[in-house]
Amino acid sequence: MTLLELDNIQGYLIRGYAHMLYSRFVYLRITDAKATKAWLSNAWKEMTSAKHFHDKSKISSTHLNLSFTHDGLKALGLNEENLDAFSREFRQGMVAPHRSRLLGDMDGSSPENWNWGAPQNEPIHLCLMIFGNDKKFENNLEKDKDVCLNYYRELASEFEINGMKELFFIDGKTQPNNKEHFGFRDGISQPIIEGSGRVGDKDDVIKTGEFLFGYKNEFGVYPDTPLIVKDQGDLNLLSSDAGGSGLKDLGRDGTFMVMRQLDQDVKKFWSFMNENSINPDGTVNVEESLKLGAKFMGRWQNGAPITLFPDKDPGISSLVNDFGYAKFDKDGLKCPFGSHLRRQNPRDNVDDHGKKESLKLSKQHRIIRRARLYGEIYEGSPTNLTPNGEVGLLFVCFNADISRQFEFLQYTWSNLPKNKELYNDPDPIIGAREKLEAGEEQNFTIQDLPVSKTVKNIPRVITVKGGGYFFLPSINVLRYLSTI
Amino acid sequence: MKQNAITFLVPIIPEKIHELLDQLKAIKKDSRNGISKELDATAIIHYARWVVIDHGKSWIGDTVKREPKLLFVVDYDGNKNEMLQKLFDNSGMLIDLVYVFCKDYPTLNSITTEDRIAFFNRHIIKDAAVYIGAPGRTVDQIQKEKKLRNYIREYIDSQSWKGVPAQTIHSRIKDQVLSNPDFGFLNEQSVSMPRINYVGMFFLGIVLLALLPLLIIWALIVHFFYERKDENFTRKRSQLSNELLKELEIAEDWQHQNQFSQLVDMKEGNVRLISIKFMFLLSNFLIKFIFNQGKLMGIPTIHFAKWVMFEKNSRVLFFSNFDGSWQQYLGDFIDNSGWGLTGIFSNTKVFPKTNFLITGGAYLEEYFLAWSRNSEVVTNYWYSAYPDLSIKNINNNTRIRVQLMKTLSERRAAKFLKLF
Repeated sequence: MTLLELDNIQGYLIRGYAHMLYSRFVYLRITDAKATKAWLSNAWKEMTSAKHFHDKSKISSTHLNLSFTHDGLKALGLNEENLDAFSREFRQGMVAPHRSRLLGDMDGSSPENWNWGAPQNEPIHLCLMIFGNDKKFENNLEKDKDVCLNYYRELASEFEINGMKELFFIDGKTQPNNKEHFGFRDGISQPIIEGSGRVGDKDDVIKTGEFLFGYKNEFGVYPDTPLIVKDQGDLNLLSSDAGGSGLKDLGRDGTFMVMRQLDQDVKKFWSFMNENSINPDGTVNVEESLKLGAKFMGRWQNGAPITLFPDKDPGISSLVNDFGYAKFDKDGLKCPFGSHLRRQNPRDNVDDHGKKESLKLSKQHRIIRRARLYGEIYEGSPTNLTPNGEVGLLFVCFNADISRQFEFLQYTWSNLPKNKELYNDPDPIIGAREKLEAGEEQNFTIQDLPVSKTVKNIPRVITVKGGGYFFLPSINVLRYLSTI
Repeated sequence: MKQNAITFLVPIIPEKIHELLDQLKAIKKDSRNGISKELDATAIIHYARWVVIDHGKSWIGDTVKREPKLLFVVDYDGNKNEMLQKLFDNSGMLIDLVYVFCKDYPTLNSITTEDRIAFFNRHIIKDAAVYIGAPGRTVDQIQKEKKLRNYIREYIDSQSWKGVPAQTIHSRIKDQVLSNPDFGFLNEQSVSMPRINYVGMFFLGIVLLALLPLLIIWALIVHFFYERKDENFTRKRSQLSNELLKELEIAEDWQHQNQFSQLVDMKEGNVRLISIKFMFLLSNFLIKFIFNQGKLMGIPTIHFAKWVMFEKNSRVLFFSNFDGSWQQYLGDFIDNSGWGLTGIFSNTKVFPKTNFLITGGAYLEEYFLAWSRNSEVVTNYWYSAYPDLSIKNINNNTRIRVQLMKTLSERRAAKFLKLF
């Protein structure tokens, strides 16, 4: 195992910046490539790396990271041949008819209804990610916001000079307890990148090449990294391809970033839970509604896994993550096979494979999630289900193989209703469809004794509003890109 | 009734190739993108596809000048001529519209079903190995068992079973089902799930053990005299042709099932031919003895799949009908079935580097995924009789039926209820 060069890796991939409660994601278009490259020739030094600080006081109060779309690399001046060296998913972007089918982006979530990232929108070239934290205060969203936006204004005042035009931005928030709008604690289970210096459960330690180009992945081979096939720029700034082709590697220490803006219909989600757990007298049964919600999700609102706490929310905020389904819940009696978390990370229980084989397969489909909230801070529940205005998640994830990781999770383990032995059960949080064809069903099966139950006609509770595939280069590569 | 697979290979009139391709495109369009419904009326065809090959595009670097040909691949129940009869009775027009562009097809104004049957019988090519995910299940049985399962599911969901013993639930379900005339077939015909043939496996094991020294020598010969001179596939997915991928993607992921058609060239020489023939022979035994439970070498998503060798064993075709998305799934099978896939395809040209026939190859994930995509050919038309069922569903439905009709102990009844 090699230790990673943390100061060459953009920090958001490894660190998550959870203490920075406020962030602004700015989407830009390059109007003058020369000016943008001139900016980049200095700006790479400003990018926050994954470097670890023992002394927390040395951590900067603002963080900055940068990613590119395929259009963006083209606008910057990367050669056609080198642009073609990227994976097909990244080249095509999130919006292509076949890809929309795979991702389930139809009806209200169809790209033609998106606010950004679709053909009818102005093409995005860059995403600048700006984070702020007022170190004088702990967990203070408003103070963090001031720091973040001050930094943003400083940067934005030079966008024009630097040849960039701001298209729009999305402000991302984090709750200190990390709850999302349906009221569930998010981001508990994260893979640990081998060599990153972080420690944790061995089942969560994933080969570096799943998340960074230039290293071996879970199959023991190097991921499909973008290589420089036609000389351009100062190649001395780049490392050679670890795969041994002799070419320079544009990907090393970088990765792909998937972004999706997911509107959450809190009212629809909790109304459905309420209706399907209603008291005989027609009143809301809060306890049963919460339980049904937890069955859909796979954890209680405070984060405790229902696999370990099947009957009731233990109440306290829980980050318990060291458990397997095969070991504690082979028949899905506690956590249903169709629940969101069991589908997204089936751990030691993939299909009917043994534990070892299952863990191996699970590890081939992990992503690093970095979601932020937008809209008002709102914790949904059976009795609290009408937020003001639109709320949702800016879903961000990192992976080296978009097809085998993000897209696999969204298609095979979410949208495909045939998971395990199921018949008509898509992922109840992110896989259910808005409209069905005649005769089609869309259910959620709750395994139980003496026999399972079906919750019928589950609704689609999210709407995709925009999205894109981005390349998050290493800091060296950002520098290199200023020389092309 | 037994399920069978057949492949027809017919030369196309070269100057008519574009008209044929347009015709197939039109048929596909009329039948909703992805999955076609015309053949439903035959009620005995599980899957069918038309694939045009050798029409000028080769992504595998095949340099031989070839005449265009049309493949027709059918998985069906029972007797071949009966299948053809039904096919022509129900879709004779459709067939004529396609084959009018092929060499020596009988003239349309005087064509009879007998003429068509005779024509197709002249163009059969032999399958090398066939896998069936639900052996013994006819289209009719699959549809009936789907109805049965849905009916029972509805019944279970119609009331609370809290505290009711499993045995009681089982017999209540049985009474309910048998009182419905739709399910009269349950009493008329009893079925069972195919079993693993342990005796066969035992003898196969003994034969392999006896052959082991020979197999080792064989692998060494292949390694030192052949594999070292192989031209290997070293491209990654990002380096594949956009044109090919675009054409393939148009027909993919419309519903929960997909098709895969692949065409590769054999490496020259008898050693390679014997190796692949041996692998097919072994596959056929394993499929018969052990891969009869809905999984092919651990792959739980394949309905029908087969390998075909043609043109004097110089070329190999592979066809599969499966659940989900091939490209995304494929990697998951490397651990379980990598050696088998490698053992077969290492004998075909430009495969990822192998050692001793069965190592390397598929285990080189990135190259293998790229190779599999690169050697894929466009499926011009595809039919599935039950696109809403996974192979796991089909096998589970039969299990439900079999257990329903038995008298069960409390423990067995509880196990029966787990099937829902």
